[in-house]
Amino acid sequence: MSIEIRNLNKRFGATVVCDNLNLDIPAGELVALLGPSGSGKTTLLRIIAGLEVPDSGEVRFHGEDATHTSVRERNVGFVFQHYALFNHMTIFENVAFGLRVRPKPPPGRPKAATPPRGAGAEGALGAHARWRPSDSEIRTKVMALLKLVQLDWVADRYPHQLSGGQRQRIALARALAVEPKVLLLDEPFGALDAKVRKELRRWLRRLHDEMHVTSVFVTHDQDEAMEVADRIVVMNHGAIEQQGTPDQVYDHPASPFVLQFLGDVNLFHGRFGHAPGGEPAQADTVYVRPHELEIVPPAPDGAAAGTLAVTLSQVLTVGAHTRIEFKRDDDGSYVDVEMPRSEFAALRERLGLQGGSRVHLRARRVTRFAAGGALQQEMPDPAAMI
Amino acid sequence: MNTLAVPAAKLPQAGAAPRALRPATGEAPWVRAALIVTALVFLTLFLFVPLAAVFVEAFKKGWGVYWAAITEPDARSAIALTLLAAGISVPLNLVFGISAAWAIAKFDFRGKNLLLTLIDLPFSVSPVIAGLIYVLVFGLQGWLGPWLQTHDLKVIFAVPGIVLATVFITFPFVARELIPLMQAQGQEQEEAARVLGATGWQMFRRVTLPNVKWALLYGVILCNARAMGEFGAVSVVSGHIRGQTNTMPLHIEILYNEYQFAAAFAVASLLALLALVTLGLKYIVEQRVKHQRRGAGDRAE
Repeated sequence: MSIEIRNLNKRFGATVVCDNLNLDIPAGELVALLGPSGSGKTTLLRIIAGLEVPDSGEVRFHGEDATHTSVRERNVGFVFQHYALFNHMTIFENVAFGLRVRPKPPPGRPKAATPPRGAGAEGALGAHARWRPSDSEIRTKVMALLKLVQLDWVADRYPHQLSGGQRQRIALARALAVEPKVLLLDEPFGALDAKVRKELRRWLRRLHDEMHVTSVFVTHDQDEAMEVADRIVVMNHGAIEQQGTPDQVYDHPASPFVLQFLGDVNLFHGRFGHAPGGEPAQADTVYVRPHELEIVPPAPDGAAAGTLAVTLSQVLTVGAHTRIEFKRDDDGSYVDVEMPRSEFAALRERLGLQGGSRVHLRARRVTRFAAGGALQQEMPDPAAMI
Repeated sequence: MNTLAVPAAKLPQAGAAPRALRPATGEAPWVRAALIVTALVFLTLFLFVPLAAVFVEAFKKGWGVYWAAITEPDARSAIALTLLAAGISVPLNLVFGISAAWAIAKFDFRGKNLLLTLIDLPFSVSPVIAGLIYVLVFGLQGWLGPWLQTHDLKVIFAVPGIVLATVFITFPFVARELIPLMQAQGQEQEEAARVLGATGWQMFRRVTLPNVKWALLYGVILCNARAMGEFGAVSVVSGHIRGQTNTMPLHIEILYNEYQFAAAFAVASLLALLALVTLGLKYIVEQRVKHQRRGAGDRAE
């Protein structure tokens, strides 16, 4: 089921958390709402779920206005950051909850009964209002879901006996039990440790590929968004900065905010290095990602065109990547360069790099935004200017 | 300092910590002993001895007198009235406590802090004042006095006044127990239940209530103990009419003032027994509440 957000506004007191948002989420996609804390992403998710009411604007499910549909009737699955499992119920009862709270079918009705309120007539919104299944049907369904999340062996335990990762998988099974048309996840991996988080991300991705239920998840972790989502919606200060595939937003950021939020970046005021004449001197800001810089030996005649004279100050190797911190000779600010560990080892050998070595940096690619901040220019290779 | 000078030969067998080393917050043995003795002497002097005295005095003249004292008509009516007052005020405060705790823990509204403060009023005001409030409102010279008189309704110096005073005095117990727990638990579980399609009542019965049931029971036990034992406020509104408006505490006072010590202590022993049962229940339930709090704390890990 597709979701459309139209002119959505929401404020808490003086703080605007949703500033005239418009967003289309096609059916079957897995979309990440990405942004720093306070960017309004969780509020937007809760408005889609019906847990918050917007001040104005519309939420449409499959073209139908659902803004005033109560949360019970929206038929969404919601996964909370802190799981929100029912502590006093077994895992089985937790997952079965959504089925058990349905109304009992009137006596005498055939088993495979039609929904109490015509699902066909009311469309997607009424489809959830189904009768409570029999106990054996509930058992079959819950066990199937527990198998799906690979936790069928904990059915009789209580939530506090499970690890965080297991609890979150149960929370997901519970949300899926009511066969939601939309699955909403609020920082689902935020409370988990790094390793479990990574495993669960992949698992969620695979699960989504099997189920194809329209899913929206909120995260402030750009790696998580990049790895899991079909599409990323970058939010800041209650507004959508950019939306697109992970590659689109990473390679073609629409604003300096998106560029800086999706990974590290070096800032240069004015032009990068010393370009020879011809290009007008611009007073704007230029951005270069650490892995888009290369280290070149100092030119014999001093400053070469399009390069930056720097002094090596620190080398940090984490896993497969090496991060090298340089100090600029001209204004003393720091520049980060990142490259594969093996490449750096070879380079160190060749240039005899050590603390205090003086080298030059050349950008393979720079990004700059025109004065308005909206337009983007990319220069494939400043070295061509030499 | 001595521990630093341990000869090198002794080091390998120093698996157990040297005796002189104490945990950072540990105290010397004599300090510990002194503290424990002080506490025990106090307890004995001020709690155990009086408690024992109640039972000793009650049975001083034998079983016969004891039995007669608690079965005579005035005593029976006092016991019945006490049970009635508790029987009405506890359910009322149960309902009020749950609604107040729900409102305060789950919603934001104007005057929330005022409500929180007002709930504590019966704790902060002297019970005599609490009784006087009702006399001023419902008494003959009070605001509603003339109206009540023309309709032939009696509140003060009658059973309704006693119930009202008891309700007022026991007002905070249930709410005070529930509010911190419900605030700690937050609303996520309720929201999860809503999203899964639960109605308001289903959410309350299947999620909220089980999560607070032990704290609720704890509040009820305390509320009941206070309702049965209340003296001051009830004394003001009761009028001490024997066989009609005397509760157990008032009955005890009358007997005592009439020098019927054995009878007074006999009825008192019933109240003391109630206190002991309450303590026992309180201990059991407290353990459960702690467990539930820990469960709520998990959320924030």
